[in-house]
Amino acid sequence: MLEVKDVHAGYGNLKILRGINMNVPTGGIVTLLGGNGTGKSTLLKAISGLIPLMQGDVFFNGVNISNMKPHQRMRLGLVQVTQAKEAYPAMTVEENLVLGAYTRRDREGTKADLEKVYEFFPVLRERRKQLSGTLSGGEVQMLVIGRGLMAAPKMLMLDEPSAALAPKVVLEIFANINRIAKSGVTILVVEQNVRMALILAQYGYIIRDGVIMMQGEADNLISDPAVKDSFLGGSVADTSKALRN
Amino acid sequence: MAFDFNSLLAFIIFGVTIGVVYGIVALGISLIYSGLDIVHFAHGEMYMFGAFFGLVLAHNVGVPYPVALVGAMILTALLGMAVERVFYRRLTRAGGGYTVAGMGMIICGFGMSVALVNAAYFFFGAEAEPFRANLDYIPRLTFPGDINVPESYVLTAIISVLLMAGLHYFLRHTKTGLAVRAVAHNKDIAYLMGVNVPLMISLIFGLACGLAAAAGVLIGPMQSVQVEMGYLMLMKAFAAAVVGGFGSLPGAIVGGIMVGIFENLGAAYISASHKDIYAFLLLILVLMFKPSGLFGVEAKVKA
Repeated sequence: MLEVKDVHAGYGNLKILRGINMNVPTGGIVTLLGGNGTGKSTLLKAISGLIPLMQGDVFFNGVNISNMKPHQRMRLGLVQVTQAKEAYPAMTVEENLVLGAYTRRDREGTKADLEKVYEFFPVLRERRKQLSGTLSGGEVQMLVIGRGLMAAPKMLMLDEPSAALAPKVVLEIFANINRIAKSGVTILVVEQNVRMALILAQYGYIIRDGVIMMQGEADNLISDPAVKDSFLGGSVADTSKALRN
Repeated sequence: MAFDFNSLLAFIIFGVTIGVVYGIVALGISLIYSGLDIVHFAHGEMYMFGAFFGLVLAHNVGVPYPVALVGAMILTALLGMAVERVFYRRLTRAGGGYTVAGMGMIICGFGMSVALVNAAYFFFGAEAEPFRANLDYIPRLTFPGDINVPESYVLTAIISVLLMAGLHYFLRHTKTGLAVRAVAHNKDIAYLMGVNVPLMISLIFGLACGLAAAAGVLIGPMQSVQVEMGYLMLMKAFAAAVVGGFGSLPGAIVGGIMVGIFENLGAAYISASHKDIYAFLLLILVLMFKPSGLFGVEAKVKA
């Protein structure tokens, strides 16, 4: 569904990504892993069009979207869920969600999707008239994911959905991402929480210093000694069980 | 002068009417500020052009006053959008008010102001022109205590309230208004929601300049229309915007009304020949005791 070919990008003269190749197949969950300052968010911005490419191409469903503006890419169904801190705090929960459906013209479908989001995240229904600035961290994360879903995406890109959240909340969010994927939305999730992300995803890319350092099936990566040493410690069995039940 | 309650009431009523006009211009300045992070120094000239467009439409073309008002708003909105598209966009694209480009933006605004004033001299001439409008169908208001409010003031109050209500409805209850607010808060996220950000910025500019034009046409019948009228209005609208809290839309209106009242009372009870000082006196007082303004919004934090 998404193909990233030899992408170089950065800010001004500063090049951060140096030749990224990536492939996200339709219907799957792919994760992009890496620590702070490795280029994860830069790659997301390059894919969604917030920063221009210096070199290389991005294809979405076979269409070269390298020169499209962000809102045009979004209209193709390539939707980026922003980091949780980037909800609109001065708007109510429902206004945020309606804004997610900004490009849609089908009222009935939008209404149905709003209901669907409220079913995914019942707490948002309770808080729908509240300003989103008053929500807790986990609730805001649910809100930005819900806002992404309102756009009726073909593919959803999530930017660190586990950031700054309690483990129990992370589990809930990830279980919901799993449900969203099952409903037919392709997912690319950028994470620092390597363990959770590899349990959730089928395929993983590890980025360091602007290049893909390692890639492979999630099951292989999780048992890979190099990954284990640098990112993981301890058993994954418990988390796995909790996530899948 | 002996204290007379009725004349105090009259000064306040006139202050409020002139104040809402300041408020409308301040509203535009706040709108542009919250949308683009730039302070638009040529906004007074938009007001002046609006007044002249209204004048030309009413006198030379001969359309009724309300039509001239709407026509002037549309023409000025188009002028503002063109100016934004051609001159400002390059700078705003390079970053908003907190960057080096933001400084360039301020200078560009000043330059635009001078250019527009000179263009107006060329097209409209240097003479102050009276704006004669037939407002007989508007009732004169008479308040208890023999306070007569002329038609033009009544009309100003009505139109201003309509404009504010319209703007409020647009921003709060329409999808496009929601998108405008989204762009005002964070352009990148708005982009990711599929909002056509450059188009919304054009719209914000058009709205703000249209409001300034309305103020110009409303002031027209009270004072005469002349090329230099924009400068003082800009200053007073700035005072209003700062008093209310820069970037806050209700603050702009309340600030405008306060400036209007303050100015009228100062002119009445202290010295009429220093009328234009009082707005800035109020500004300084507010800055001393509540620098964020009455409805001050917290400074926007850029990620």
